[in-house]
Amino acid sequence: MRVIAHKAAKVKNLSANQTLTLISLLVFAVAIATLACASGSFDISLWAIVQGQASALENNVFMQIRVPRVLLSGFVGASLGLSGAALQGLFRNPLADPGLIGVSAGAALGAAIVIVLGSRFGVGATLGAFLLPMAAISGAALVILLLYILTSGFGYQGVTYMLLVGIAVNALASVGIGILTYISSDSELRGLTFWTMGSFGGVTWALLVPALLLITAALLAMVPAARALDLLQLGEIEASRLGIDVGRLRYRVIFAAAVAVGASVSLSGMIGFVGLVIPHLVRIVGGVHHCYLLPGSAMAGAGLMIAADLIARTVIQPAELPVGLITSAIGSPFFLWLIFRMKKL
Amino acid sequence: MMVMKMLMMRITLLCLALPCLANTCTTARDPARISVAGGSLTEILYRLGAEKQIVAVDSTSNYPPEASKLPSIGYIRNISAEGILSLYPTLILGEDDIGPPAVLAQVHAMGIDIEILTEEHSAQGIIDKIRCIGSIIGESGKANELIKQFMLPRIDELNILTKKGRLANKKILFILSLQAGSPIVGGTGTSAGGLIRMTGSSNAMADVAGWKATSTEAIISAAPDFIVISRRGLNTFGELDEMRLHPALRFTPAAKAGNIVVMDGMQMLGFGPRTLDAAVTLSRRFSSTKP
Amino acid sequence: MVNLSDEKTVSISGVSLSVRIGRQSLLDNVSLNVKEGEILSIIGPNGAGKSTLVATLAGDMTPSNGTISYDNRDLTELSIQDRAMIRSVMAQSQPVAFDFSVQDIIKMGWVRGSDIESTSRYATALACIVEDCSIAHLLHRKFNTLSGGEHRRVHFARALVQLWRPETCSSRGYLLLDEPVANLDLAHEIRLLKQVRSLADQGVGVLLVLHDLNIAAKFSDKIAILQAGRLACIGSPGDVLTAERLTRIFQIPISVDTHSLSISYY
Repeated sequence: MRVIAHKAAKVKNLSANQTLTLISLLVFAVAIATLACASGSFDISLWAIVQGQASALENNVFMQIRVPRVLLSGFVGASLGLSGAALQGLFRNPLADPGLIGVSAGAALGAAIVIVLGSRFGVGATLGAFLLPMAAISGAALVILLLYILTSGFGYQGVTYMLLVGIAVNALASVGIGILTYISSDSELRGLTFWTMGSFGGVTWALLVPALLLITAALLAMVPAARALDLLQLGEIEASRLGIDVGRLRYRVIFAAAVAVGASVSLSGMIGFVGLVIPHLVRIVGGVHHCYLLPGSAMAGAGLMIAADLIARTVIQPAELPVGLITSAIGSPFFLWLIFRMKKL
Repeated sequence: MMVMKMLMMRITLLCLALPCLANTCTTARDPARISVAGGSLTEILYRLGAEKQIVAVDSTSNYPPEASKLPSIGYIRNISAEGILSLYPTLILGEDDIGPPAVLAQVHAMGIDIEILTEEHSAQGIIDKIRCIGSIIGESGKANELIKQFMLPRIDELNILTKKGRLANKKILFILSLQAGSPIVGGTGTSAGGLIRMTGSSNAMADVAGWKATSTEAIISAAPDFIVISRRGLNTFGELDEMRLHPALRFTPAAKAGNIVVMDGMQMLGFGPRTLDAAVTLSRRFSSTKP
Repeated sequence: MVNLSDEKTVSISGVSLSVRIGRQSLLDNVSLNVKEGEILSIIGPNGAGKSTLVATLAGDMTPSNGTISYDNRDLTELSIQDRAMIRSVMAQSQPVAFDFSVQDIIKMGWVRGSDIESTSRYATALACIVEDCSIAHLLHRKFNTLSGGEHRRVHFARALVQLWRPETCSSRGYLLLDEPVANLDLAHEIRLLKQVRSLADQGVGVLLVLHDLNIAAKFSDKIAILQAGRLACIGSPGDVLTAERLTRIFQIPISVDTHSLSISYY
């Protein structure tokens, strides 16, 4: 293990400690995913499934309800964690979280527009299923671009400024969602509440597979930007003097984060604080280098989100809690603690 | 990969077949283990003596009180697929706001029958609901008996109370609760609107569609003769006196005369058998000339 | 301005940079060149355009007219990556958002890949440069906890790492320094300037902005004076630093001992 870690470290610029942390995070994510696949309110023996001795119903519940759900929560966690880390790097701002700065709200507004107006203008179910993630992605991209334009002049000093802009963007998006709520019919309204609460329930392979491909592509697009994001911490001008095409980096991160967050929000609704908490935890454990932080945040995000969903669906079984409730319950005190710590510095 | 493709095809087909979830009122294949989502349905099953067949209920099923001791599948609009399946139901009975639709599609894909009863906010709607459940669980005889013995007499009573539009000039304001200082009132197309119609009186908020937060001025100009509110709704105001003196309500004829009626929310709006009782009680109250 | 085609220089010819607000010109028709192995100091009053000149040479800003070339290649033809290979810039320091260590900051100057071979080359470069800059004791500290002077020394080391040529185990290219000795104590100031001198001796072309006229006189091969965006004068220290000219430009009485080239202004 040590030897492998050392070898990998040499090539990938990771310290041995970071490589070990990444391996542990991966093991943790896989272990928690296995545990999540094995548990739930429906009693299924994983061993029976593997041996093919499970009943048809057990097999169906496992393959069509539980596995897609675990996969979705894992990917959403990974995409929120990684997007949070990449956006924090891009904005050089430790409080940039897709939920906090309004990116998720932008995506939700995009989705809400499709839900309410789509049914008005006779968009069919098939087109709607395709349109929804597209609208969510566009909403997310618009918000990030807006934020970037509004905060670029403020750089690192603009932590407060960025949060204020985030509050305004969140408020704007909720006004939009509020208006849509007001004009929506009862059944459209039900769709809306689902999006604003956040849930991994009801996902099917047909919706899951395209979203997983999108999220994977976005994640793969972000990871190679690791070194550039490191250098960006010296400032945009310094980074470009060191050979970083800051413009291209900017659009790469913005676009990839918008795709990842938009695709996630379109399937699972708004789930707060993951993008804020995960990168900070990962930094505390192994350091600030993006070549470690980006994959680390993806793995930790996946593991913790699967765990949060596991709690959400088992703690009051057979009913379930909204998963956003659990992430916010953990995330908001953490957010306060972060602000407290920044004040001390 | 092949397996995945087949799975996806099957799911797509099932999604397309979703409209078949609509209510048919035909006898279910196997009503032995029923998971219920909707308070009125639970109530009807109890009245039909089918309570032993219920394996789970949703959080709106609080009547009769012993129903809430059954395993809960949570809020009717946010049920969990695995949660429901873990109780091995053979039939899911739901009111029409059961959801989310994606979860229903998943459960249906597991081969579980789902019957969704469309909601009609009238006395006839209640009768139809009882009859429909009776035929779904194969107890049409009991259902007809229940209708004949308990429902029709109530309807007769209502007809007498509301004869010749006697109560049509009474304006009723139904308040669900107080939210951020504004009362949420029941307008046209809501269950509250249906209840008011059953009592033979008129809805003071007929101009409003759906449940909406309303301004003080709109309430004053509507000048309701009676205000009806659920017990839980009253709690958002506090005591009855606090509600009577609430700025949004104190200038209405209803509050001035103390004509505020408090009743169990599910009894009034669930549109199960109890709702007929509620309508009768309200009608009686509206026709009494209370000082 | 003619480029001597064989000689390796960074040159700017007739560069002007105008700012649209008020049509104010930050640099007006400035031409100069720095040869490999040569130290050119830029002096001048505040607001004369010294930092703007460095930024323009670095490629941060595009001049409204005139050309900038490195080794006879127009700057606009060089990609961002190529530029990073040929010149390095040490700017005035700014905070870093996250807790990077000094080691990390220095490594950011390494623009030559991260495969196993370059990694071992980096180790060599780091060892030499850390020794030269005497910052070994700072390597494991958090960058944000250092003092202003220490920040400068770390950034200087990073600028050197960027110019390191593994083939010759020495630095090569052009080094642009904007007030490199601000915040440094006397000992570190002299040490850094001596290091700059020895880099020039290895063949690095250096352009630096200085405030201390005596230091400029001591360590430069050439001195250029900027005044209100214009090049007032360029040449050897002895030619440029005359009492009459300095008094006129800095607008205080300045006397120059032409023999030892020492300048007094109080």
